[in-house]
Amino acid sequence: MAKTVLIAEDEPFIVESLTFLLTKAGYNVASCGEGNAALSAMVERKPDLLILDVMLPGINGFDLLRRLRDTPGLSRLPVMALTAKGQEADKLRMLELGADDFVTKPFSNKELMTRIDQLIGNRTSAPAAVPDPPQ
Amino acid sequence: MARLPIGARIRDRRRACGLTQSGLAAAAGISASYLNLIEHDKRPIGGALLRRIAELLQSEIGQISGADDTRLALDLLELTRSADGEALQDESALALVARFPEWAQAFVRLHRRYREATESALALSDRLSQDPALLELSHAVLTQVTAIRSFAEILEAHGDLAAEERDRFSRIIANQSDQLASSARQMLDLLGGAAGQTHPSTPREEVDDFLMAHRNHFPQIEAACDDLRADLQTTGANPTAAIEERLAHGHNLELSVRADLHRPVLRSGQLSVPEGTPETTIRFLQARSLAEQELGPLLDQLTQDPRLTTDQARSGARAALARYAAGALRFPYDSFLEAADMLRYDVEWLGARFGGSFEQVAHRLVTLRRPGAEGVPFAFLRSDPAGNLSKPLSLPELHMPRLGGACPLWALHRTFTVSDRPVAQLAELPGGERYLFVARRVTKTAGPYGSPPVTFSVMLGCDAAYLDRIVYGDDFAGHSVRPTAVGFNCRSCRREACAQRAHPAVLPGETAGEAPDSPAKSDRKAAGDSSRAKKQTILAQ
Repeated sequence: MAKTVLIAEDEPFIVESLTFLLTKAGYNVASCGEGNAALSAMVERKPDLLILDVMLPGINGFDLLRRLRDTPGLSRLPVMALTAKGQEADKLRMLELGADDFVTKPFSNKELMTRIDQLIGNRTSAPAAVPDPPQ
Repeated sequence: MARLPIGARIRDRRRACGLTQSGLAAAAGISASYLNLIEHDKRPIGGALLRRIAELLQSEIGQISGADDTRLALDLLELTRSADGEALQDESALALVARFPEWAQAFVRLHRRYREATESALALSDRLSQDPALLELSHAVLTQVTAIRSFAEILEAHGDLAAEERDRFSRIIANQSDQLASSARQMLDLLGGAAGQTHPSTPREEVDDFLMAHRNHFPQIEAACDDLRADLQTTGANPTAAIEERLAHGHNLELSVRADLHRPVLRSGQLSVPEGTPETTIRFLQARSLAEQELGPLLDQLTQDPRLTTDQARSGARAALARYAAGALRFPYDSFLEAADMLRYDVEWLGARFGGSFEQVAHRLVTLRRPGAEGVPFAFLRSDPAGNLSKPLSLPELHMPRLGGACPLWALHRTFTVSDRPVAQLAELPGGERYLFVARRVTKTAGPYGSPPVTFSVMLGCDAAYLDRIVYGDDFAGHSVRPTAVGFNCRSCRREACAQRAHPAVLPGETAGEAPDSPAKSDRKAAGDSSRAKKQTILAQ
């Protein structure tokens, strides 16, 4: 069964490019542009991975991650943080709070996808070559 | 400080002169082995022998003895007190000065430049990190770049895109590029001031700009204070007693004098002041507390201003307005203006009549801007003994600096060296405009013996056109009076030859130069509008 990735990011064009890339790679994709909505979506949909923007409105990335790690059933969910370039402190804080990996904006699609595949345990080097069955 | 190694210097100088040890020793009338000991700093040298050797080596005695290098060595030792220089030894600094003075000078120069650069970098980063507009723009730029890069990579990597997708992604890239260009332009405007606008960068500057936008006059506060005063007067008590009474019984706010305080504190129903706080300060603080209690909603409403972008700026502005209200309560607009005109703006006399300090009265004078009932327009500036400026209130023509220091020749800085009396000055700016400056040193609460007094210099400035309405102008009434040639600050000043110049001017100045004591140009009309326009441009940056 296709694995599900939840994108918590408020910039529509970034959501669109991520959705395109993840769908191409055979994932189910859901997205939320606001922290509270992202939290309930996670409880409902039980995604296999969360892509989390640090600068999320509502509950910001840090607080959301903290809440997540305290929630039973979600405490081990793999989290990929999106941080701004040069914000070294943000990266460290996200990792301390339990993010599994991060990429900085502007990111390279290839790098991002490789890291996501690794996090989710989908270690295929060419995901497009072995597509999951269409939904 | 340890002794500078003279020996090494003599040896170096001897070699430079092409002399052998025995040759120099023979000429100086000492043995070669004795000279050897001297050169290795194993024997002291001074007096006639040092003079003789200096002569033989064709050197100044100060050069050989190292007195010239003492200053340099002290400068170099500054490095050992910096974080990067902790491991440096005093002794080796002295040796470096003695052996390689050029290197030592270069080190000192580099260290100073490094420190200057660090300071300006800190100031800039302060500005950048506090500027919400800039932060928002940086975030937008990053988002746009991220989207552009990601979609460009998609277009490149996925040759099999549907035509519709390809079009949409290309359009997104085009759209985001446009947005990026616009964000970049906004950033440039913000940083470089393309429109010639100054952009306030700190909460304090926002407060200054907020006050200036209202010309430091707030009719609503004046009206509210008039009402409050009328209300207080129905009690029959004198205003001071009435305010105290209202604070105590209306607001449960008591005054206490305490020996363990260094500055006044207003907290939880208690106004506490240090022992020895002047009566005028206590009265002013009480008026301020009452204004905060009774005019709170009005102050909140006035500080809901788009110019104030942070909580810090809003609370700073609220405090400034509370002080304004205290002045308005203590010094009623109409009677204060009438007295000011009659006493010819004698600040101390006004203070005696209304029970106010020099600073309070000066500050109140700057607020007399009610249309139809205006006092002489004044600018205001305060400085501490180190030249740190505060409370700048400008006039349209007379801009009070807030950063980088005011002209060192201003009366503002002279007060620290004279007794607590006003210092008046007729100042002429490089463009020919003349202003009357009046400054006085003010001392805040004096602490116990031995503690440094807290002093400021407070200055009022007005156009020289008002000379005859002001008591301080009497000294400059005659035709033979020579004004003091001043500037605004060194960076913007074109008087290149000024003996007090602390920084080079940003724009090339008048090479002919005007020393501060030279007669200033008398034809101010002929000074021209171009120089005025230029000055305004510089100050706007």
